[in-house]
Amino acid sequence: MEKLSDRWGSVLKVDSLSKKYREYVVKTDEKIGSFLSFDPGLTINDSAGKGILAGIPFGVKDNIAVKDFDLTCGSKILEGFSSPYTATAVKKLQEAGAVVVGKTNMDEFGMGSSTNNSALGKTSNPWDLERVAGGSSGGSASAVSSGQVPFSLGSDTGGSVRQPASFCGIYGLKPTYGAISRYGLTAYASSLETIGICGESTSTTREVFNIIRGKDSLDNTTVDYSPSGKDDSVTIAVLKIGDGELNKEVLSSYRKSEGRLRDLGYKVVEVEIPTLKYVVPAYYVIATAEASANLARFNGIRYGYGEKGSETPSELVEMSRTKGFGDEVKLRILLGTYVLRSGFQDQYYHRAQKIRTAILNDFSKIFIDADALMMPVFPSAAFHHGSSDLTQLQQKSADLYTCSANLAGLPALAVPSSIENGLPVGVQFTAPVFEEERLFRISGKLEEIFPAQKPEVYSGGWKL
Amino acid sequence: MKYQSFVGLEIHIQLITETKVFCSCANNFGDEPNTNICPVCMGYPGALPSLNEEAVYKALKVCTALNCHINEKAIFDRKNYFYPDMPKNYQITQFESPFGVDGYFNLELDNGEIKKIRIHDVHLEEDAGKMIHDNYQSLLDYNRAGTPLLEIVTEPDLLDGREAELFVQQFRQMVRYLGVTDGNMEEGSLRCDANTSINLPGKGLGTKTEVKNLNSSKFVNKALSYEIKRHGKVLDRGGVIVQETRLWDEKTSSSRSMRTKEDSHDYRYFPEPDLPPYRTEPAVLKEIRDNMVEMPLARKRRYIDTLKLSLDQAVFVTAEKDTADWFESVLELGGDPVQAASWLSGDIRRVLNKEGGMLENSPFSPERIKSLFDLINGKKISNNIGKELLAVIYREDREPVDIVREKGLEQVSDSGAVEKVVDDVLIAHPAVVDAVRGGADKQIGFLMGQVMKATGGKVNPGMAREIIINKIKRSD
Repeated sequence: MEKLSDRWGSVLKVDSLSKKYREYVVKTDEKIGSFLSFDPGLTINDSAGKGILAGIPFGVKDNIAVKDFDLTCGSKILEGFSSPYTATAVKKLQEAGAVVVGKTNMDEFGMGSSTNNSALGKTSNPWDLERVAGGSSGGSASAVSSGQVPFSLGSDTGGSVRQPASFCGIYGLKPTYGAISRYGLTAYASSLETIGICGESTSTTREVFNIIRGKDSLDNTTVDYSPSGKDDSVTIAVLKIGDGELNKEVLSSYRKSEGRLRDLGYKVVEVEIPTLKYVVPAYYVIATAEASANLARFNGIRYGYGEKGSETPSELVEMSRTKGFGDEVKLRILLGTYVLRSGFQDQYYHRAQKIRTAILNDFSKIFIDADALMMPVFPSAAFHHGSSDLTQLQQKSADLYTCSANLAGLPALAVPSSIENGLPVGVQFTAPVFEEERLFRISGKLEEIFPAQKPEVYSGGWKL
Repeated sequence: MKYQSFVGLEIHIQLITETKVFCSCANNFGDEPNTNICPVCMGYPGALPSLNEEAVYKALKVCTALNCHINEKAIFDRKNYFYPDMPKNYQITQFESPFGVDGYFNLELDNGEIKKIRIHDVHLEEDAGKMIHDNYQSLLDYNRAGTPLLEIVTEPDLLDGREAELFVQQFRQMVRYLGVTDGNMEEGSLRCDANTSINLPGKGLGTKTEVKNLNSSKFVNKALSYEIKRHGKVLDRGGVIVQETRLWDEKTSSSRSMRTKEDSHDYRYFPEPDLPPYRTEPAVLKEIRDNMVEMPLARKRRYIDTLKLSLDQAVFVTAEKDTADWFESVLELGGDPVQAASWLSGDIRRVLNKEGGMLENSPFSPERIKSLFDLINGKKISNNIGKELLAVIYREDREPVDIVREKGLEQVSDSGAVEKVVDDVLIAHPAVVDAVRGGADKQIGFLMGQVMKATGGKVNPGMAREIIINKIKRSD
């Protein structure tokens, strides 16, 4: 397989290539809309001149801080807000030579599964522009899928890297909680989210992960990366799927991947996860509770949108938040405030935390006999723009396969599985904490049989 | 009073640390507004708190000094409310599992009795910024946002305003001894809110009210006395106390309602997900215990019992740890405790007050003062000359021995020389000599004065007096 640097290393360095590259991105983005801001020269001087990733362009989800780029989080309340500092994970990539070329579109503050909840732009799936790229890291996934960048950083709170990766036919890693510093990631649900990676291949995803992981003194929830060393899997558990749980295409793709595992010589064991039916309510209680506190800082006083002409501080805060936040964000803040109310905490918040422990126990039981677990990513492939295919509520319910890994803090990797009726479908693998390498090895083997496919738009024609 | 009163205090102290409690901004007072800020303490998107170990260490020192049980896991919580001086619109504090719980403080009452005041908890939290109102706008300075605060909550074991006043004074003295804070109420590095209730004896606690805006221990006493009286009046006429927060107004010497329980916030406390539970190392605790400074009360007792200082002297010397340490340095050099205490509370204090200086790092080093005592005790100079020297030592920052030598201040101790001076004085004042011979001993003082004048004060007074008396008696 060609090395990442061979294919992408000169794209920004050689003038003629650089011009063609920019034209390609600008032209394709007119339809796809991956980027909220695209400016390869803006922070090129913050990248080391040499390193493993020297000169390689990458995208960063617009809720992750990059100094001098805007940090909008897809929201009007931060429209035009320029970040005064850079996230640790981005810094590490810059130190390795990689260059941030733009900030990618997302559901507002990470809340959504389509990127249609962005207040600042529209992102479409490179495989079918009538459909969503997934969310909340839709722009990060579409940028990689359409060949605008070889990898991009996203964030995964309940599946926000893996689901768009699956919708766009690329690789999406949610790492172990605490493996990658969250310093610079605008908080939505602090105990659930991680910075994640959208990559064009297993090797690229792995390479980026190994560069950005590590304990950070600026993030007290990071821990030293400590894998067991048992990187090769023998037994892979596969989640049993009941009738109607997945749509026809996704089920078919799931079975294909299951078959490939057997062909590759893995011992495949079917398992059930009893607590899986409780994960969505637990996830939304915890995520919205934390979000209600994390989003309280946006009040128009120190930065971001501040309503002019307010007579009192209260008025300023109320007007700024009323006008600056979208409906989905307001919904989740209200819900989160509610479940934290005194008198209700036992019923909602504490119960949700108990479910969290229960789901971790279920996973632990599975990992006694299995080295990894395969699950679907989402019950359908990419749905159409608007809520006609899936209402907002249905989109939330569909989070069950992905948000379980966030609740348990486990690593999970979305892997392209097949193209069904012209749309990509992925599967995901999860493993015990710090066993990302196990996931990469399974993914690498499957990649030999079925690598990431390129949509029509990705002609690679901007390269010489 | 026919009611029993109960008082509990919530005291906040600003901890002295290099940097703020969750970021590396400088923890300074009085810098230009908004110069000690960063994404973390300004609540920028994506910023995260990182716990300052120095603040934790100082918190543990206070917990230990207050005899608290140290929780195995200290957990931080978010206290959620909106206010312009709050960058995140939640405060990181401790609610369920603070650093220290169930401690006690030995309060010395006016009659010398020791009363044990139970400490409910000691917890670490961050301070908010400062908001100043100016005509038609509000100004915000975030330098203070994120600085470390330690909150100490007592049980309602205090009886009244006076006990509360004593508690604040003695508590302040203790935390200054520990070196964890300046404890300055006027500057705001020590803040006190008081809770009080009354009830018929034996009926337990009553409905409490909280009083805020107490800027000195004196006001703590005044405000609580007022409040307890007010409670009494309400109950006397058959009314019910409204549980509320009241502000003390020094101008009117009264309190007024700020907000009632119904208006009070639901803070929606939940554990801070960005900070893992803190597990205190047993080795650290042991180190703190082993190196714990002697408490002011114990030190004062020791000075009275062992060193034989008077109560007043002991109180003065132990008021500040620096003073007591200085005092003990002089003793270590061989100085006499009573002499040292007496000079310290007397002439040394006087010079310092006049010059507007502090004892610590002043020209009055323990070595110099001991050297001064040696000159006096060795009769090289008189006590009075010694006192005059203090001002010179302070202003010129020089060794007493050098000044004495340079200015020729050494006492004349050669009896022959003294006799000659006395002879001259006696010849010059025959009437006085006769008076003394006749029994007017007080006139010896006049003759002493003349001898002093003639020698520029440099004669050993004891020797001069003896020679005067002998000469007068001899010529009988």
